[in-house]
Amino acid sequence: MSTPGPERVPSTVKVDKTSGQGKPPAAKKAGGARPAGARPGGGKGGKGKKVTPVKVSGGRNWGPIAVAGVVVLIAVGIIGYGVYASVKGSASWQDKVTAIDGVTDYRAKKDAAIDSRNHKDGALTYVTNPPVGGDHNPTWQNCMGDVYTEPIANEHAVHSLEHGAVWVTYKQGLAADQVAKLTSKVQGQEYMLMSPIAGLDKNVSLQVWGYQLKVDNADDKRIDEFIKDARLKASMEPGAACSGGNTTTGPIQAADAGATTGQ
Amino acid sequence: MTVSTDSDPAAAAADQVNGSVPNRTPRFGPGWLAAVLIFGLLVGAAGGILYPRLFGTPEDTSVEAGFLRDMSTHHAQAVEMAMIAHANSTNKDVVTLAGDIALTQHGQINYMQAWLRDWNLSPTGSEAPMAWMPGSAGAVVNGLMPGMATPEQLAKLRTATGTDLDVQFLTLMRQHHLGGIHMAQEALALSDNKDVDWLADSMVSSQQGEITLIDAMLKKIQQK
Repeated sequence: MSTPGPERVPSTVKVDKTSGQGKPPAAKKAGGARPAGARPGGGKGGKGKKVTPVKVSGGRNWGPIAVAGVVVLIAVGIIGYGVYASVKGSASWQDKVTAIDGVTDYRAKKDAAIDSRNHKDGALTYVTNPPVGGDHNPTWQNCMGDVYTEPIANEHAVHSLEHGAVWVTYKQGLAADQVAKLTSKVQGQEYMLMSPIAGLDKNVSLQVWGYQLKVDNADDKRIDEFIKDARLKASMEPGAACSGGNTTTGPIQAADAGATTGQ
Repeated sequence: MTVSTDSDPAAAAADQVNGSVPNRTPRFGPGWLAAVLIFGLLVGAAGGILYPRLFGTPEDTSVEAGFLRDMSTHHAQAVEMAMIAHANSTNKDVVTLAGDIALTQHGQINYMQAWLRDWNLSPTGSEAPMAWMPGSAGAVVNGLMPGMATPEQLAKLRTATGTDLDVQFLTLMRQHHLGGIHMAQEALALSDNKDVDWLADSMVSSQQGEITLIDAMLKKIQQK
């Protein structure tokens, strides 16, 4: 009695795998000569195991398996690249900023004097120069790409940092061509402002809220990187504006709480 | 195959050979393989091309992203000028128009920034202003996009009063709108993104309407 076709292949495969009889060619010879019952492995193994292992293993078509393997490899590669690209592309702006050589991460320091965001009138003291955060005047410094040619009040500028601005500062008296290069990065750019600072320890210092980059030269490529990665993203108040701020220079006025165009 | 008995191994073997040959030959011919492979590649390529267009979001250097970033900056200056006029003007019509412009454009900035965020793009780009617009070289002067007021004009506006302030504001805003309309029309022509087109189209029509209004107001003020 013969079983129907479809069952034939599985049953012979099973025999091949479970018989433990070794090489198919040997099995072929043995199958013809030996009675099945003489084999070890019990009664079940005795049936119909003669020639079949040869046929199955010899008939296995490696073409589609190889193609499937290649397709799977390619698919895994594409998916893997996609995951890698998205993970790399989605690195947070904080990670990108701190990855820039020379950036100081003041947010990580958890300094209350820098993290504090209260509005206070009059002159305030800051723990870094230029400041990167802390209490500030109710009025921010206008940061619509404003280029101030005289020093401005820290108390206003820190409020601009809170709104997401990059504050570009340079040592007062820096060469005109260096200042011009910095100016070209700032003017017309929203969430940017620029001003000189007397006696700055480096030629150029850029700050957003909680991060600072000091460099010696306006040509330094890290300047553009810092601006690209931090501008607006560093805002502590998403949606806060840079317009409507103070546009005057000079130190903070004694009663300068919103004296200009609003807060 | 004979599974029940092993009475006749030779017959069984013959049965194997005879039975298996017709079963096996049609399974995976080289032509079939090639067809499947080509079909798969075509589907993959078509999907790769169509998916971003149908379901994907604009990329970092796309027209859409460039327009949203630049128009955010452009709008921000309109808000700035409108807030100055809103605070300082004594002309009721100017105060009303300035308030309308400031609130509308500030609201539109939020749309644009939210879309950039939805698309996982930075609110700011590394490309030059207007880089998304072909033939825009020379349109940006000192970092200012078309229609934008210079720092000197803004400084003058801040200190102006009375009719002087109103005329300065209306004139600057008229110029600003013309530049903005031009950018929005370019975005409409270049982009197929429904959201971007919808907002750009509304900018064109509403700012054109406001220019008509500004012209009438300027005429009225200057006749006094």
